[in-house]
Amino acid sequence: MAPAHRPPRSARAKALRRHLLIYLGLVPFLVITVFPVFWMAITAVKQEADLYRMDAVPFWFHQAPTWKNFDILFNRTFYRAWIVNTGAISFWVSVITLLTAVPAGYALARLRLPFAENLGIGIFMTYLVPAIILFIPLARVVAELDLQDSWWSLVVIYPTFTIPFCTWLLMGFFKTVPFEIEEAAMVDGCGQLGALLRVVLPVSWPGLITAVIFSFTLSMQDFLYSLAFVSISEQKPVPLGVATELIRGDVYFWGSLMAGALLVGVPVAIIYNLFLDKFISGITGAAIK
Amino acid sequence: MSDSGHFDPDPAVSRRALVVGAAAGLAGGTLSTMLEARRAPAQPRGTNLRILTWSHFVPAYDAWLDDFARKWGEKNGVRVRIDHIPHLELPARWAAEFAAGAGHDLIQFAGQIFTGQYYRHLLDLSDVATGLEKKYEKWMENAKTAAQVKGVWYGIPDYFITIPVLWRKDLFDSVSVPEPKTWEDLRKAARLLKAKGHPTGMQFSHCNDANHNWRALMYSFGVKETDPAGETTALDSKEMRESLKFAKAMFDEGMTPEVFSWDDASDNRFLASGVGCWIHDAISAFLTTKDTNPAVFQHTYVVPEVAGPGGLKWNVGEPNVWAIWKFGRNPQAAKDFIVYLTDNQKEAMQASRGYNMPFLRKHYTKPMPGLGNDPKLAVLQEQDRITAFFGYPGPMSPPAQEVLTTFVVPDMFTRVARGADLEATMKWGLGEIRRIYSKHKAG
Amino acid sequence: MTGSARGAPSPGAVGVAVAGRAGARSWWRTPTARRYVFGYSLLAPAVLYVGLLVGVPFVFSLYLAVSDAAVGEPVARFVGLENFASILESTTFYVALRNTLVFTVGAGILKGLLGTTLAFLLVQPFRGRRVVRALVVIPFTLPIAISVLGWKWMFDSQFSVLNWALSRVGLIGAYGSADWPVWLGQPHLALLSVMFVNVWRGFPFGAIVLLAGMTSVAPEILEAAKVDGASFLQRFRKIIVPMIAPILFIGTAFDTVFTLSDLSIVYLLTNGGPDGATEILPTLAYNTGIRAGALGRGAAISLFLFPLLLPAMVLLLRTLRRRQY
Repeated sequence: MAPAHRPPRSARAKALRRHLLIYLGLVPFLVITVFPVFWMAITAVKQEADLYRMDAVPFWFHQAPTWKNFDILFNRTFYRAWIVNTGAISFWVSVITLLTAVPAGYALARLRLPFAENLGIGIFMTYLVPAIILFIPLARVVAELDLQDSWWSLVVIYPTFTIPFCTWLLMGFFKTVPFEIEEAAMVDGCGQLGALLRVVLPVSWPGLITAVIFSFTLSMQDFLYSLAFVSISEQKPVPLGVATELIRGDVYFWGSLMAGALLVGVPVAIIYNLFLDKFISGITGAAIK
Repeated sequence: MSDSGHFDPDPAVSRRALVVGAAAGLAGGTLSTMLEARRAPAQPRGTNLRILTWSHFVPAYDAWLDDFARKWGEKNGVRVRIDHIPHLELPARWAAEFAAGAGHDLIQFAGQIFTGQYYRHLLDLSDVATGLEKKYEKWMENAKTAAQVKGVWYGIPDYFITIPVLWRKDLFDSVSVPEPKTWEDLRKAARLLKAKGHPTGMQFSHCNDANHNWRALMYSFGVKETDPAGETTALDSKEMRESLKFAKAMFDEGMTPEVFSWDDASDNRFLASGVGCWIHDAISAFLTTKDTNPAVFQHTYVVPEVAGPGGLKWNVGEPNVWAIWKFGRNPQAAKDFIVYLTDNQKEAMQASRGYNMPFLRKHYTKPMPGLGNDPKLAVLQEQDRITAFFGYPGPMSPPAQEVLTTFVVPDMFTRVARGADLEATMKWGLGEIRRIYSKHKAG
Repeated sequence: MTGSARGAPSPGAVGVAVAGRAGARSWWRTPTARRYVFGYSLLAPAVLYVGLLVGVPFVFSLYLAVSDAAVGEPVARFVGLENFASILESTTFYVALRNTLVFTVGAGILKGLLGTTLAFLLVQPFRGRRVVRALVVIPFTLPIAISVLGWKWMFDSQFSVLNWALSRVGLIGAYGSADWPVWLGQPHLALLSVMFVNVWRGFPFGAIVLLAGMTSVAPEILEAAKVDGASFLQRFRKIIVPMIAPILFIGTAFDTVFTLSDLSIVYLLTNGGPDGATEILPTLAYNTGIRAGALGRGAAISLFLFPLLLPAMVLLLRTLRRRQY
């Protein structure tokens, strides 16, 4: 319907204008999302006196930038241990979450069980119970398991909020797997379990990755549980360690706080981005069912 | 150019202190313990002592304390470990430990005093308290509100952080106001200096400082928070109304609306930035200014507290009180440690740069560490005589603590400052407080 | 024997009929039974884990809410609905309740709007799209406690970078003047500021999910709709939205529940101040239940919305499942 030829100038102009409009539209979003991070980065290398000046341009340095905040972070606190702890906790929580949520999601999605719907809803309902109340009886549980003050206590507790979410997530993913491949596998003599392991799981690996990503993120958001169950410095995860040892009384060690935040946030953001495509395709699959 | 005085200047000591002090049972510790064993008689041997306290705003103090405890432990065959978390988060931790029936042996109530909440599950420490009193003269009278329940010592006060007035002499001089002696002086200075771009500020928000600053004003104006037994509120008084009116006047004349968003650290920054003409803040602000703005610090001075219209002067401090869980596994070592620490109070105060104010009279012998030789801080050497704590004159009971953590008093001041009707505010505040007290009485 | 339990609907009727005829024993051998056994054993780990670690403590917290428990009292007295009556007498509670609802609904709407706009922008082809996409997810990868602290500094009444920039550009007055916004101090502004931080963290995720949905719909369908004269909005509403609705619903549901129980943003920025302007149920519950030790009332406050949320969520999830089948 469109004319076969358009004057090149006008087409390019149109494309250019379109690009400009898009970029213009994106600027506020980028500013809002990226600016705080830029700000944190600058603060991390500023000297403390530089922060409290009203005359200087806050976006840049008035006094020379310094690595002192990072020095404090790495040499005067247990930051290194915290990073290792956070990584270990998130890893094990992901393992537990996968081991429980994958079968559960599959069962709820595919097996037409009676009461499945209610069980699914019941699992979701646990989110309505706030952590500020839960942590008290859970403290008892942690003590009984003799895990007090060890980060393993968090490995036990965190799945309470990663499992419900991941179960629902994986339910969505599993629904997208065509019945035919499963049937084909069973015709080959696999049995239900075999079909699950050998056919369904490999195909849904974007879903599994998404579940892992969420386990990581959700684990890193927690503060209250780690506060209640871990008091030893070297056992703390990063958010707890940073907030408890770099804020003393009413004195905030801003530079080190921001440094600590960035060193954890940026790698996670990078990893997120690496998997973003898989994540999107996974969600997409789930969306189209 | 700020000196790195924030963290221990000797990296070797601090790193070692952190690592060794915090980790239990290192080879060195155990070896020296064995060696000692052949000589010294004993204290609980090969036992553990776990201590929970707050993260002091002077990091060097925490490093010193960890090291001090470790050394004591080595001498006495006890493996000591100290854990630090911010004072505002301690209640969550205590609740978890209590629910678990396990955790630390020796805990420290810091600012939030839970003696009244947990006393049934804390050891009776009267023997330790009387022993210390014999050695070091009298306990500060107001200390008992923090550590005693029904006359029995369930805690041993360690030190308190004082919250004096920090003022800029150069600014006051420029408007010919001498050193402030009363709240009226402060108000006048603020009025004159706000016009010159140097207002003052006190928090009208949900923060710890707001609770304590306004109580200092109140008590100095003659307000009593409860009856001496701490059973009913006594805020329905003329003096309370006077203090609310005064606060409003001071806000209108000498402050800017930014104080509604202030948190505990905002006034520190306000002073350090050079803008504030005076603040009423924990002595940590003095430290911040010293480290970040020497030019301003040069002109910053300290006044222990200012008086109300009746000449009454009360400063409200934040107490730190040791307590021992009944389920603690090493009560003897805990008690011994408390006594040993109190015996070495001078060294402790020095390590805190003079910020830990003692509770025992004998420890006020001059010159006091950190304060005595500092011309500006020397004025704080009589601070115990004018210090009260929240709930005054009643004890720091559970209802008083709830009134504190739900910020009823700062809210009352905020409403009045914003222009709300005084009587309506009084009615609201008293209603909330009475409700809290009645709930606790019923329980 | 046939290839056993298929996932496909196997009429329970057959199973029942078989059981009826052959007796209970052999029902266990039927495909249906095998499927049930298999299914429930797959479900068991998750259900047990969550049931024991959340279900049991939840019952305990219900008990707390109807008792006069305090942190130092292991055994408390049953007091019925007294805690609820007590909190209903407090004006602070109503303020917190109102703020909670405003916060949740307002933030939800904003996240929806901003997320959608961003998704529309990102769905267009342009150079550097991958980079932009990578950058906008940063807010929700940063741990919440730490990113909120960053915002605390940015909203600071004295040193706020935002104010500095805005006043240099002339949009607001200078420091100390009446025109200098105190983000966390002025009553309505404070609530908006804390909502903003919640939105800042959440809208990129919504945008990504929407984007995924929009790109997943086969272009031919959209083309066909375009040919049929459907406008962009109509295409969006009639084709895209229904297809991604399930994920959107779940995401929204989880996000809403999370926002309702999230304590960290308000706690770190204002702790409910000034004068309750930003007080929400979680902070009130924490300050009453834990920091003051009145566990019974703290539990009552935090569970207050539960009777409302439970049926709402059940309804939502039921409808969702119906639509899927």
